[in-house]
Amino acid sequence: MNGFWSKGSLARYGASRLATAVLVLVGSIALLCSLTLIVPGDPARILLGARATPELVETFRQQMGLNLPLYERVFVFFKHALQGDLGTDVISGRSVTDMVLAALPNTILLAVSAIGLAVLLGIPIGCYAAVRPGSLLDQVLAVFSVSLVATPSYVVAILLLYFFSVRLGWFPVLGAGEPGHVLDQLHHLILPTIALAVGWIGYIARLVRSSLLEVLSEPYIRTARAYGQPERRVVMKYALKLACIPTVAILGVGIGELMGGAVFVEVIFNRPGLGSLVFDAIRVRNYPVVQGCILIIVAIFVLANLLVDFAYAWLDPRVREALGRTRSGGGV
Amino acid sequence: MSYELTRRGFLAGAAAAGVTVLGQPWANVAYAADGKIVVRTDEDLQNLDPANRAGPIDVNVILAVGQGLVKFKPGTTEWENDAAAEIKQVSDTLIEFRLKEGLKFTGGYGDLTAEDVKFSFERFKPAADGTKVTYADDWAALDSVEVTGPLTGKIHLKAPSPAVWLIALADGSGVIISKKAFEALGDKFKTTAIGSGPYILKEWVPRDHFTLVANPDYIGEKPAFSEIVGKPITDDKTAQLALQAGEIDFSRIDPAVAKDVEATKGLKVEKLSAIDYVWIGPNIEKKPFDDVRVRQAIRKAIDVPAIIAAAYNGAVDQAFALEAPGLLGHWKDAPRYERDVDGAKALLEEAGLGGGFTTKLTVLNKAVAQATAAVVQANLAEIGIEVEIEALDPGAYWAYGENDASKNLELVLVEYRGKFDPGFQTQWFTSDQIGTWNWQRWSNKDFDALHKQGLVEPDPKKREQIYVDAQKLMDESAAFWWITHNAYTFAFKDWLVPGILPNGNQWQYASFKKA
Repeated sequence: MNGFWSKGSLARYGASRLATAVLVLVGSIALLCSLTLIVPGDPARILLGARATPELVETFRQQMGLNLPLYERVFVFFKHALQGDLGTDVISGRSVTDMVLAALPNTILLAVSAIGLAVLLGIPIGCYAAVRPGSLLDQVLAVFSVSLVATPSYVVAILLLYFFSVRLGWFPVLGAGEPGHVLDQLHHLILPTIALAVGWIGYIARLVRSSLLEVLSEPYIRTARAYGQPERRVVMKYALKLACIPTVAILGVGIGELMGGAVFVEVIFNRPGLGSLVFDAIRVRNYPVVQGCILIIVAIFVLANLLVDFAYAWLDPRVREALGRTRSGGGV
Repeated sequence: MSYELTRRGFLAGAAAAGVTVLGQPWANVAYAADGKIVVRTDEDLQNLDPANRAGPIDVNVILAVGQGLVKFKPGTTEWENDAAAEIKQVSDTLIEFRLKEGLKFTGGYGDLTAEDVKFSFERFKPAADGTKVTYADDWAALDSVEVTGPLTGKIHLKAPSPAVWLIALADGSGVIISKKAFEALGDKFKTTAIGSGPYILKEWVPRDHFTLVANPDYIGEKPAFSEIVGKPITDDKTAQLALQAGEIDFSRIDPAVAKDVEATKGLKVEKLSAIDYVWIGPNIEKKPFDDVRVRQAIRKAIDVPAIIAAAYNGAVDQAFALEAPGLLGHWKDAPRYERDVDGAKALLEEAGLGGGFTTKLTVLNKAVAQATAAVVQANLAEIGIEVEIEALDPGAYWAYGENDASKNLELVLVEYRGKFDPGFQTQWFTSDQIGTWNWQRWSNKDFDALHKQGLVEPDPKKREQIYVDAQKLMDESAAFWWITHNAYTFAFKDWLVPGILPNGNQWQYASFKKA
């Protein structure tokens, strides 16, 4: 196998991305630890409240590692993290790893379903608008898409809850559903998914429309049409694959955005996910929990971007070629 | 076998799944029928060790699961016997008790004995190495507990302490824990509530719910509900919607939405005046606030009714002194200062500040606090004082209680939670609290003396006068511009009667009843 997919190129590419990922992880935790030094107020005092004795405050400072120098805190955290230990919640004494693992599936399920819904609706809307540029439908879809992009997920969440839960009683308000009860969990997932996906539906629709319009004016599309290929086939088979490349590229960044949006959505729907876990922990400055959550969120972000890079190369032969040449020492 | 997914098949399948999901009997009203209720808590449980509890959410569960020698009568600040068959104040410094027979700890930890009482209360004394539990101050007057028999004992106090009944014995710090359980569970004790009370903590799924079920071995009056599920919901709007959708049965709500919630069929709304104390005050050590005329001028200029209307939607009553109505020491004749802009200007002129000055008002970055600050800013602008608002997140705000940081404050808006004994409220204003919680750095020797006197005075009438006199000194200083004692608004199903103590944040789960 030649080019980018050859064993050597892929391994080199993977190694360089892995090194970047490690740097990002260490950097983010170091930044977080240094923030605890800059932000006013003693986290232990805030966490324990006004009545805590100095001795208890000092014990908590030690438990949170706040008495250690910055580099040592980062080192100790990663040393334990590599052994699967993200620390201990100083309030409840529970393992942060257990807390994160309990919350993670809820957030991943929410993020994946939101992305899925956004792609499922955004791409057809974008296609529809692109094949009828300037038409009334295109203009209506443009207004619709921009409205979706401009509406914050927490506003959508509250409106959805009001209409579908309070007024109609179709969906539950709280939680993620009974563990092990798939239908119940799906039932609890629908509204949060819509709330989180709404902005992305509009964004993907606009992105697909503009890139599809660009691809549809390419010479090879003209050729396909000249050969008498049906328009549906031209759009779906030849144009859409290329037009989707920018969409795939933004999905990597989108994971980060979705994790941010998930905080609001999980708080409003009271879903016990990673977003609400980190929100609660930040509120009371429970740093061991914040650190554990941030590490996992950053890792998800890095992993998603890595997958997107590979998907990008898989979708676009030009990227594949260019990367293959670069890794082999050739110029792009 | 092969199966081809057609578009029609997919749509039919999706429709069937949708109907199945929507058709599930997620009953909105299921709980009450089978003796279960769902209550909303503002936050999750944190620490179920009575001595190191984190706040009212914890103590509500601790008191439902455990027993003290005495407990608050439902909805009042009076106490009645709980685990004690008999308890009496023999002298100013001695309390004798006899426990009821047959009290058992859950989890197989055996009988509740006087040894457990001794262990529970003496934990609040400083350890040999000087370390103390979080609520050590509640039992500051405790000298020792003497065990005189399996079910009898004597509580020896270092000095007379009438406050010990309401602050310690009837509250969370008076809950009797199992010595055996404490030693066996170690660090897990704070997440495993073991007690002899009306409920058992069946499960606590962090950040999702906790479940209390009726304790079959409890020898007192059985609670009305066999199961109480607590759901931590931080967002008020979510709680409101969950209540209206029928997923929860009881919640504290934002007073601003009370009318909307009350209009929902099957829901009731109840407002309860609280005993907190919210006020604005200056740093006495900073110029020009060291001049009493400037403080009096600002007191005349601030429009408290406007603050209550704008920031609280008119949902709270105005406060005129430190101790809330209903508490011992409430000063019912406290002066009601009317707004007087001309009088305020004249006082500033007299103080040589007719041209006004610029100052900073520090508040928490909460909506109510910021709205209050905005009204004060407008009020003081009318007398020539330009106010810059410093809105801080809780971390930065409460850091003023450390390392003498309060010396940098100018004006500050403060909100403290109250307790049923007046001495709890006055303690934060004494001279020895300067540098920690006396942020205004107000020092008055007579006030300090009255506070000390109040702590040890056994005669309630004399105590009452002591605390009124203490509040008169605060009033004379013109350093405390009282706003409100707060109010809590609750919404609940119309078939429910919640058990709430007069401070609004302590809920007696065992007193929740069917209407």
